[in-house]
Amino acid sequence: MIWKYTSKMMLKVWLVQVLVVFLITECIGELVDTCGVISPESPVIQSGSNFTAFCVLKEKCMSVYEVNASHIIWKVNRVLIPEEQYTVINATTSSVTFTNTGLLNVQLICNILAYGQIEMNVYGVRIQTGFPPEKPKNLNCVVKEGKKMLCQWDPGRETHLETNYTLKSEWATEKFDDCKAKPDTPTSCLVDYSPVYFVNIEVWVEAQNALGKVSSDHINFDPVDKVKPNPPRNLSVSNSEELSSILKLTWINPSIMNVMRLKYDIHYKTKDASTWSQIPPEDTATTRTSFTVQDLKPFTEYVFRIRCMKADGKGFWSDWSRDASGITYEARPSKAPSFWYKILSHTQDSRSAQLIWKALPPSEANGKILDYEVTLTRWKSCSQNYTVSDTNFTVNLTNDRYIATLAARNLVDKSDTSILTIPACDFQATHPVTDLKAYPKDNVLWVEWTPPNKAVRKYILEWCVLSDKSPCVPDWQQESGTIHRTYLRGKLMESKCYLITVTPVYGDGPGSPESTKAYLKQAPPSKGPTVRTKKVGKNEAVLEWDQLPVDVQNGFIRNYTIFYRTIIGNETAVNVDSSHTEYTLSSLTSDTLYMVRMTAYTDEGGKDGPEFTFTTPKFAQGEIEAIVVPVCLAFLLTTLLGVLFCFNKRDLIKKHIWPNVPDPSKSHIAQWSPHTPPRHNFNSKDQIYSDGNFTDVSVVEIEANDKKTFPEDLKSLDLFKKEKVSTEGHSSGIGGSSCMSSSRPSISSGDENESAQNTSSTVQYSTVVHSGYRHQVPSVQVFSRSESTQPLLDSEERPEDLQLVDNVDSGDGLLPQQQYFKQNCSQPKSSPDISHFESSKQVSSSNEEDFLRLKQQQISDPVSQSYGAEQMKMFQGVSTTDAFGFETETQAEKLETLGMEAALDEGMPKSYLPQTVRRGGYMPQ
Amino acid sequence: MPLLLVLHWKHGAGSPLPITPVNATCATRHPCPSNVMSQIRNQLAQLNSSANALFILYYTAQGEPFPNNLDKLCAPNVTDFPPFHANGTEKVKLVELYRIIAYLGAALGNITHDQKLLNPNALSLHSKLSVTADVMRGLLSNVHCRLCNKYHVAHVDVTYGPDTSDKDVFQKKKLGCQLLGKYKQVIGVVTQAF
Repeated sequence: MIWKYTSKMMLKVWLVQVLVVFLITECIGELVDTCGVISPESPVIQSGSNFTAFCVLKEKCMSVYEVNASHIIWKVNRVLIPEEQYTVINATTSSVTFTNTGLLNVQLICNILAYGQIEMNVYGVRIQTGFPPEKPKNLNCVVKEGKKMLCQWDPGRETHLETNYTLKSEWATEKFDDCKAKPDTPTSCLVDYSPVYFVNIEVWVEAQNALGKVSSDHINFDPVDKVKPNPPRNLSVSNSEELSSILKLTWINPSIMNVMRLKYDIHYKTKDASTWSQIPPEDTATTRTSFTVQDLKPFTEYVFRIRCMKADGKGFWSDWSRDASGITYEARPSKAPSFWYKILSHTQDSRSAQLIWKALPPSEANGKILDYEVTLTRWKSCSQNYTVSDTNFTVNLTNDRYIATLAARNLVDKSDTSILTIPACDFQATHPVTDLKAYPKDNVLWVEWTPPNKAVRKYILEWCVLSDKSPCVPDWQQESGTIHRTYLRGKLMESKCYLITVTPVYGDGPGSPESTKAYLKQAPPSKGPTVRTKKVGKNEAVLEWDQLPVDVQNGFIRNYTIFYRTIIGNETAVNVDSSHTEYTLSSLTSDTLYMVRMTAYTDEGGKDGPEFTFTTPKFAQGEIEAIVVPVCLAFLLTTLLGVLFCFNKRDLIKKHIWPNVPDPSKSHIAQWSPHTPPRHNFNSKDQIYSDGNFTDVSVVEIEANDKKTFPEDLKSLDLFKKEKVSTEGHSSGIGGSSCMSSSRPSISSGDENESAQNTSSTVQYSTVVHSGYRHQVPSVQVFSRSESTQPLLDSEERPEDLQLVDNVDSGDGLLPQQQYFKQNCSQPKSSPDISHFESSKQVSSSNEEDFLRLKQQQISDPVSQSYGAEQMKMFQGVSTTDAFGFETETQAEKLETLGMEAALDEGMPKSYLPQTVRRGGYMPQ
Repeated sequence: MPLLLVLHWKHGAGSPLPITPVNATCATRHPCPSNVMSQIRNQLAQLNSSANALFILYYTAQGEPFPNNLDKLCAPNVTDFPPFHANGTEKVKLVELYRIIAYLGAALGNITHDQKLLNPNALSLHSKLSVTADVMRGLLSNVHCRLCNKYHVAHVDVTYGPDTSDKDVFQKKKLGCQLLGKYKQVIGVVTQAF
């Protein structure tokens, strides 16, 4: 029962499971059921060809969505394809055509417009385009020894599609398994089977993709002809004591040797060489396990390598074996060492000489040099032998001639002997080489010379670096006497100046040395020359510079270039020969800042020096002097002429500027005129004031120049003067007229008032006219008013005179007059009218003389003065110039008036007696 | 229809191949090379040069008592070994060579199979046995091609050695050693004959 129940339960479970699976399957079937399909489903088309795809709708779908083939739209990568490419085949099928397709890998989708407008995907396929495979070319196989066969080929054009390459191979009697190339290496395939030699195998490649299949040409070969052997191993090198020029190579052949005959390729080189030499192939064309290499250099390390291949040349060379090296055995040194000497010190009886020689290079030493044998033979004496392990030997010599020999010795033998003659002290070196020159070529420094006419045993070349910082430490080398060109074998540096000396060595001693300089390789100078000005002129500048130190030259200085410019101007370049150390820049602009720099050039380029600035002066040297000196001279000359003129015209100038003032102390009234009234009458102020008349003074003024011009006027003037004198006599005399002049300060100017006050302290003078009328001695002394404000120098300088005068005056009653004068002058409003008059007098110097003359006339004529004063009252407040103009007219009118007055007075009896003061006369206040 | 089925010998082969009519058509996949006889000689030389080493390697690998009892244990006493007449014509020699190589090839297959079980660490021996078998396979192809292309021989009756699958280990070793001894002996003669 239990078993039955269990069986029924299991059956039910099984049925349920089956039902579920069925339903799920149906549902999925409904879900994946598409509305149509595209044919072909996986299109692979050849690039450049036409392609047509068809979309076939299912009837059920058509009825559900109410669509047909005309409702189909095509898209490529979601981009609508133009309807021109559509074709409705029938109600269910629509096609789309692509022409000349390029390289595509796109998704083509068939859509329908459900219910005429709702876009629905029906089906999609991926279109692949590409090319059919090309025929593989250059199929070849290689059989590496111990490995399986590898075949390679050229697949040709990229197909852009998945392409399978299959290597097929077969014997004549059986076929091998295909070798399928891996997708990442479609150009080769390694077969699975081991190669069997001496059986021809036919191989070819088949290339296949969705667009086609193609086979390469078949190649038929014996695998033994495609073998690449393993390289010979355990290569070793051994030398021979009997022969220093051979080395024997031994090796173990690869196991392929049992199958085929081998040939070899042996390379060798010296240890330090970069290129290999090859043993002639014909010497190594057969199978062997050793080979002896000949014609090698003694005591030289050689490196060897070897490879092999099938003897008939079919197949491939093996890889190179590991390098093996060996050293040939020693041989006798092939050359005598280079031998030279230096005299270190020299005394009267002896000298210290250092014999020096060069260690033989390995190629000449042919072994390890154990020591050197030195023999020294004094002239006509026995020799001494020395064994030296170093390369120099210092020995004391006499002043005699010596013969030194040198030989190098190695394990095998000693070299030839170098012979050197050390001449006696009094030896004179001669016969130097000529035309010595040195030049770089092929990265070495060559030295060339013309041999002297004497047979040369050898040449000694010495060289050292010329430097300002370090001494010349020479290196040297020896050359055969037969050559005249060699290169320096030392380690030379670029951009260094080498001093090279060539000394020919003759049988009797060294000849005269000859030297030259050279560079292995020049370079631009490290520093440029520092230019400076030596002299700067208005239009030129002399530049100077120092020669560059040899340490910074880096080559032969060929030339200099001077660049100069102004701040805004273009740069100008001037080339200067290297032998110069100064240069004159001309055509410069004056008073301009110039910037100048200098470049030194070698054959390899130039280097700028620091920039230097200078300014040209505004004037050339001496130009200022050329201007100033003539000006000064002209000024001096003018001054001198002026002084001379003044000196010559001193009387006239003195007359105008500094008139002579008679010294009253030297007056001799008694001599003036016997008819003159007593002095006390003249000087008695009280008397003047008492009656106001002069009765005993006559004034005569005679001008020599005027005697023709104004003959008639003189009469009237005389008449006026008479009246004036009489007026003065009535007024204040000399002091009164002075007060009129001293009232010059303007009433409107405080300063002038002050000046007036100062002036008031000065002494006014009267002029005594000495000249008589027409050379007649005047009977009486004539006084004329003076405008001078000059102090009475005589009185100041000679106070005793003044005192004397004072005494005299005081005795004669003059002191009161002075006091009166001071009182008048101290009054600020003494005579404003006349101050105007005086101002106008100062305006113009051109009319000054006439004006002065007129003024004198006015002053000397109280009548005219009173007229002038009266007229000036009318012009108060008028400007100075106007006043002057008017004054001039006034003068004329005054003259006319004077004339009229004179005319009026003509009728009056002429007398020297003082006249009464008339209208307009001076009235003391 | 190709009749030389012995080219595909395998372990356990011990019975003679079926005999086909002599007048059957002979064809190969491609023509034989012109130097096929040279290749045969080279192959024989290759086998001959390695036969002694293979023999030594074999009995050395088997351990005592083989190395010290070669005469007793490794004497070339192989029954039913195909004969070879060195003074025969090329065709005869090629036919006899074909039978010998077919015999040796089958025997080497059995020995190789047994040695991989009996001396799994004797890799050098295994390798050399495989190489020798491969060379024999190539030699057989060349002889076949030569017989077919030149002498139009489409069928050769061949025989194989005894089945050793039911033998004990020592017997397997002993039969193998005897066969390699025989091989060394015969291959020298054959090489000289060509």
